Amino acid sequence: MKKITFLLSIIAFSCSMNKELPNEVNLYSQRHYAVDELQYKNFTEKTGIKVNVVKANADELIERLKNEGENSPADLFVTVDAGKLFNAREAGVLQKVPSDAVNGNIRTDLLDSDSYWAPITYRARIVVYSNERVNKSDLSTYEDLANSKWKNRLLVRSSSNAYNQALMSSIVANLGGAKTQAWANGVVSNFARDPKGSDRDQVKAIAAGQGDIAIVNSYYIGLLLASEKEEEINAGKSVSVFFPNQGPGDRGSHINISALGLTKNSPNRENAIKLIEYLTSEEAQEVYVNNSYEYPANSLVQPSEIVRAWGEFKIDKLNLNALGEFRSEAIKIFDKAGWK
Amino acid sequence: MLVILPVFILFFSFFTSGKETLIYLLDTVLLDYTLNTIYLIFLTSVFALLFGIFPAWVISNYSFKGRSFFDIALYLPLAIPSYIMGFTYIEILSFTGPLQTFARSNLPSLSNFLNQDYLQIEVLGIILGLALYPYIYTASRISFSMIGSNYLNISKNMGLSNFQSFFKVVLPLSRPAIFSGLFLVIMEVLNEYGAVKYFGVNTYTTGIFRSWNSFGDVDGAIQLASILIVVVLIFFLIERLSVKKSRFYYNRNTQLNIRYTSSGIKPLIFWVICFIPFVLGFFIPFIFILNNSLETFHLADLSKVINLTWNSISVSGIASLLVIFFALFFLYVERISKSKINFYISNTISLGYALPGAVIALSLMILFKGSLLVGTFGVLLFAYVIRFLAVGKSPIQSSLEKQPETIDDTGKNLGLGPFSLLQKVHLPINKFALLSAFIVAFIDILKELPITLILSPFNFDTLATQTYEFAVEEMLPLSSIYSLIIIILGSLMLLILKNYIDKQIDVSKS
Repeated sequence: MKKITFLLSIIAFSCSMNKELPNEVNLYSQRHYAVDELQYKNFTEKTGIKVNVVKANADELIERLKNEGENSPADLFVTVDAGKLFNAREAGVLQKVPSDAVNGNIRTDLLDSDSYWAPITYRARIVVYSNERVNKSDLSTYEDLANSKWKNRLLVRSSSNAYNQALMSSIVANLGGAKTQAWANGVVSNFARDPKGSDRDQVKAIAAGQGDIAIVNSYYIGLLLASEKEEEINAGKSVSVFFPNQGPGDRGSHINISALGLTKNSPNRENAIKLIEYLTSEEAQEVYVNNSYEYPANSLVQPSEIVRAWGEFKIDKLNLNALGEFRSEAIKIFDKAGWK
Repeated sequence: MLVILPVFILFFSFFTSGKETLIYLLDTVLLDYTLNTIYLIFLTSVFALLFGIFPAWVISNYSFKGRSFFDIALYLPLAIPSYIMGFTYIEILSFTGPLQTFARSNLPSLSNFLNQDYLQIEVLGIILGLALYPYIYTASRISFSMIGSNYLNISKNMGLSNFQSFFKVVLPLSRPAIFSGLFLVIMEVLNEYGAVKYFGVNTYTTGIFRSWNSFGDVDGAIQLASILIVVVLIFFLIERLSVKKSRFYYNRNTQLNIRYTSSGIKPLIFWVICFIPFVLGFFIPFIFILNNSLETFHLADLSKVINLTWNSISVSGIASLLVIFFALFFLYVERISKSKINFYISNTISLGYALPGAVIALSLMILFKGSLLVGTFGVLLFAYVIRFLAVGKSPIQSSLEKQPETIDDTGKNLGLGPFSLLQKVHLPINKFALLSAFIVAFIDILKELPITLILSPFNFDTLATQTYEFAVEEMLPLSSIYSLIIIILGSLMLLILKNYIDKQIDVSKS
């Protein structure tokens, strides 16, 4: 009998947790950085609106949204990959973000032409090179990474990683499937070792002399340089940042965004819009750049000092939806090329 | 019935949905992934057996200095989640880690030799072996202690050396126990995702996630998971059969076994045999994590640490109670009804242990489609029960199987109904087994990651999810305070469990 009472009390407890409070906004988020907590706290202090968060992988959250259907408590879907927002939109779980919700100073090249998302930050997938063993003048484009001069010198993580998948999708969108396959084959034959580890590990492997160049996300270099450990700072200093495809008439470096999508059945739509307004504002954008090494989506805000030191760069103006649209093709290219 | 549903849902989806991704994966990478999985299972098993069996034998049979310490310490790696073990070791061994940094400034001749790429499947096999050997150690420790000295005396009279009697007599007798430990190790390897992904080793589970997270094809993921269940089911039946065939061993040999007092070089060898798995499997990662926690302590948000600790303890505690409740229910029904159907149901629900947590979460999302239930604690706890029922079941099962059926008959003759028989007879005599089931389930749920992430209610973080968030963002030092608490809580629970195992060994000897 005790057990039954106990069970009932658990069920009652769980149900009571789900009661909707009047002044809140619910997020399903793929982002889980310390800076996010700070942003939400600031927002709550300012508006009195409580921010509730569930954090998991983007695909798992899309599945949760799909299965919850009209009853979903979520208001915003937060990702670090435009491709996943494209998937969410295809799955029919998003609605358009009203244009006046997004701060007017957000870079227009980051906006969705169909306005299904509001960008908050962006990051570039760049090349870093050993200061000792590589001449900057040898580097030029992503395409050039397939050149045999890089044989046994190139480091990159696995094709299961979403950043690599987005990069490959952008190349498919720009060059077409056949050329991309040839490119991928060339890149794989240049690998210094099998793809593995994190972005940071690729930089450390350059420092350790296991390879000379690596494809990584820009902010990881910032994290290494800001590390508390001297050896990590040294590893960060042993490489330099190179933005590919910057030549005149060239398309620019591949970027991806962190962005907010408004869910189709958002129960707290007004509050969700207030949060979009806030997170795209100059005030919140300053907080992003000072706590992570991403680039701000708001053009009035400057990146952090470490990031500014790498110089300005031209971004690939490709419609970011292509990062989702060409994803399956990109993965098949990975598999065919033997990019583990 | 409710517990078995998710498994059915997977099979149902298997037959009803499109197979494009499945066929694509079969055509291209799946063979490679499967071979990797087999190789990784092989490597991990070899190391887990090495690290598990020999110390168990030494500790069960010989007295030497440090024996009682090792007898406790050898369980401790179970408290460290395997992905944390993986991340931690790579950090220790990396170019910027303590080992290589030290070598560069003090032993330049050695530093070139140490500068290797450690992200290799063989290294992963050793690390997983270190993280998982306690399953083998526990199983063989109990078994070795229960083999009476009769067997050893007889084998000596037949002229076998100690070494020969170990391989020819003791190991074959303990085969079922070791096999059941090995079974858990294999399940854990099949489930492993975090460390495997980090090492760039593509296993079968990688295939499941490639289908889901790369192609966005949930059906493909489900189909791959269903195939996995069938394979595991076969393993599982083999294990059950091997246990069934050999159940008589323990009960007959209850004589006290005499520990040989050893002298000369032998104690040193014994000491080394026990020292290696303990130091590599627990001491080194623990000290590294402790050191990182102290260094980053000023950055930690203490109220958050306390809050997450409370979350972890309460959710693991409640879920573990549910696990033993359901485990006892199924086992007891199986016992009193004697119907074959209940036997199959009781064994099928154990299959949850073989499924990656994310797949269980997926099947529950499909099960509760359109309702408000996902995101409640009820569903989260339900998912834990499905995933960890097998863990809780096994100690209760082996304990119940040791009680002769005459107990039930006597109870019935005294006028006890099934419920009061359970309450007045079985609960008291199996109380150690229940405690043990609670503890193993608790430790597993404490470390659990994917289910907690996917099904969690709003604003619900645990020590494990927080550790993972920092680790995956490549900020390992910041994660250390949270993993440290997981390890300490787990270790405390293991000390209690150890106490119970001693009692079990004593009971069987008297």
